[in-house]
Amino acid sequence: MEEEFYQKYKKLGRGSWGKEFLLIKGMYNGMLNLMKSQDQFIEPMETILKIFLSIGKARKEGRSIIMHPFNYGPELFHTMNLQPLMQELFSVGLAPFHMNEPYLDFSNNVGYGDNPTLCNASRPLIGAFLQGAAPVPDLLFFLSTPCNSLSINYQVFESLTGVPTYNMDIPYWACEQDSEFYDETIMDYIITQSKEFIEWLEKETNQKFNIEKFQQTMLRLNEARGYIMEFNELLKTIPCPAPSMTGFWNWFFMTNIGGTADAVEVTKYTRDKTAEMVKEGIGAVEDEKIRIGWPYTHVFFEGPNLFNWLEETYNAVTIMDILGYYQVRPQNITNLEECYESLAKGTLEYSMIGSCRGPVEYYIDYCLDYVRDYKLDCIIFPMQYACKHAYAMARITSEIVREETGIPALIFGCDPYDSREVPSEAIRGKISEFIEQVVL
Amino acid sequence: MTVMEKLSQAIPLANPWINNWRNEGKNVLGYFCTYIPEEIIYAADILPVRVRARTCSAGDTPMGDAYMTPTACSFTRCCLELANQNQYDFLDGIVSCNSCDQIRRLYDNIRFKAPFPYHYIIGVPGCVSDTTHEWFKHEISKFKESLEKNFKVSISDEKLKKAIRVYNKSRELLKEIYNLRKHDNPPITGTEMLNIISAGMSMPRDQFNYLLSQQLQELKEKEGISDYRARIMIVGSMLDDPEYLKVIEDLGGLVVVDSQCLGTRYFWDLIDENKNPMDAIGERYLSKIACPRMAGKYPERVDFMMKLIKEFNVDGVIFQRIKFCILWWAEIFMLRNKLKDEGIPFLELEREYVLSGAGAMKTRVEAFMEILEANK
Repeated sequence: MEEEFYQKYKKLGRGSWGKEFLLIKGMYNGMLNLMKSQDQFIEPMETILKIFLSIGKARKEGRSIIMHPFNYGPELFHTMNLQPLMQELFSVGLAPFHMNEPYLDFSNNVGYGDNPTLCNASRPLIGAFLQGAAPVPDLLFFLSTPCNSLSINYQVFESLTGVPTYNMDIPYWACEQDSEFYDETIMDYIITQSKEFIEWLEKETNQKFNIEKFQQTMLRLNEARGYIMEFNELLKTIPCPAPSMTGFWNWFFMTNIGGTADAVEVTKYTRDKTAEMVKEGIGAVEDEKIRIGWPYTHVFFEGPNLFNWLEETYNAVTIMDILGYYQVRPQNITNLEECYESLAKGTLEYSMIGSCRGPVEYYIDYCLDYVRDYKLDCIIFPMQYACKHAYAMARITSEIVREETGIPALIFGCDPYDSREVPSEAIRGKISEFIEQVVL
Repeated sequence: MTVMEKLSQAIPLANPWINNWRNEGKNVLGYFCTYIPEEIIYAADILPVRVRARTCSAGDTPMGDAYMTPTACSFTRCCLELANQNQYDFLDGIVSCNSCDQIRRLYDNIRFKAPFPYHYIIGVPGCVSDTTHEWFKHEISKFKESLEKNFKVSISDEKLKKAIRVYNKSRELLKEIYNLRKHDNPPITGTEMLNIISAGMSMPRDQFNYLLSQQLQELKEKEGISDYRARIMIVGSMLDDPEYLKVIEDLGGLVVVDSQCLGTRYFWDLIDENKNPMDAIGERYLSKIACPRMAGKYPERVDFMMKLIKEFNVDGVIFQRIKFCILWWAEIFMLRNKLKDEGIPFLELEREYVLSGAGAMKTRVEAFMEILEANK
């Protein structure tokens, strides 16, 4: 990174935060320092910095901040000029810098769960809030799925803060007509709830929902979805043209700035860079030998290190994690009702929602498609101990994937948010044993 | 044989009542949660039986550990274990719902690893509004159609109304018995009450009502219990083991009321008998005293708990939380703040589904009893 760029953002970071945003400031500075040694992918990284800056800026400008979960796009919030704040920033964003650990310890000390019970994707927020280190948003919004940890954590946060809260029910059934779990009323159900949510937002923020702006937002969302679908297709190329973390960032952008011009720009950039690599026949990993499927989240406390290690040690590329597996296709949105349908479809098929909100068959189908489409050599499930819904699908899924495709799987328990549970060395040891004794 | 002894016959997994029902050529369905509308099953002339797993040995769940994982609650691990051992052979199928992540995945693991002839899952909304009410009615209508199709029965409105009357009768009788527990000298222990409720979930409901009426009469005439040290409320999730309550009651803590799955949250609310039966069933089940899975209902749950504490003159609350239960850990985290504010003593106990570590539990309960006595 050029020194001028670094200094520019260092300066922008100064004074942009109130006391309640110190953790976000920490993440911002951590990210800026990580970028210092980087000379590629600077544009997307710049977008990440801008996202952090926008949160503090919103509070200064008096714009409402709405906290929302990692599995819901912010299109409505951007339409209404609200500042989205993804709750999991306090776990995903702090974990690589080990800054979440004091808040996990504090949660333990005050009796708010433990790791095998409540997911550490959620607990740092409560620990940080109780120590006065987390911002209090103006509004809270969450979904009933994919897990109880997420849903109950919002209820706890609501009870502690008294912040107005809205919950949307996400049903179990499928919206695809060819699914054995298809329910013909499911789309209407989500659309109705989305419209009710808009009414609630109007009331809470004392503003009128701007239909024209909504349609523009959905058009931009469609465009970004299109770039991501093209990127996903490009990843099928052997050798894989993008490094292991790239898909993850697509999810990150869609979850924080989906529906904005910045999201269009950054997803196009990623698509273009990946297409160039394909055109030149270059793989992201030199002499690619293994293609890994990662149908769960990253081990977040590792940052990019675990994937870098896999790339360097085994010439192994990890195609996409479950969040990066963003499969919401562009929709036909020629009129307003189709915009609502597109919004609903995105809600039902969002990363991890589409595969985890219903019967295990959704997850099995996702893994089978993943293995076949991306010509994977193996699957690694780094399961969060407290993620009851996903952990209890891994064994069945791995058996079926093995039966139908012959691909082996490694399942191990860990805490992606806390290196003290299963440390890096232990995780690498399990993966090494699997790759060397089973895969190679 | 006393009425209580007769009811106790219904407590084992496969019991004489179920055998008699099956001998008549009729079907039995196992279900997992208080959000499953038993009335619809009963109206199909199928016996709904709450799935329990008390015969499971503590710590001996290799199948459950492997598929549900060791960090799933021991109730779900035990159920998968028993299903795999064919100990639910008296069931013609199972009905579940998305009560919690672990029950949801138990249903999946059973379907794949220890299947029954019939499986059904009802999607219960995670919050309550006019829209989710409509959706839930749609869900239970699909369930009704599934029963009709698979068991070749017709579930008419008349049959549903009759089932509602029968189940409401149980609820009224259970409430009458609970009202007797408000007395200074309650005529029944918590251990006995849990036995009665468990029995009701494992036998034909009209026969249960008959015995329950007799039990109520007996209790009205019975001299109450006076030699207790404190009046206790139990709060938590799925507890079907009377021995657990007996540990508390042997130490002098008389359980007078509860907020549990096999307790008030199961039967407290009636179904409106004057409405369209499917509408009324849907409304009752979605609006009943909620479990922590139901977002936005925490204030109602607190009010309910506080109301019972007052009405039943409770001295102290014991939270029982099954290990690895997400929802109840977070719920208790909130509830205990409320109790602190109100100055009501409480004890939080973590447990496995099958009673283990009774010694440690006794020590903690004894200490709690001493605190409660000192407060008097």
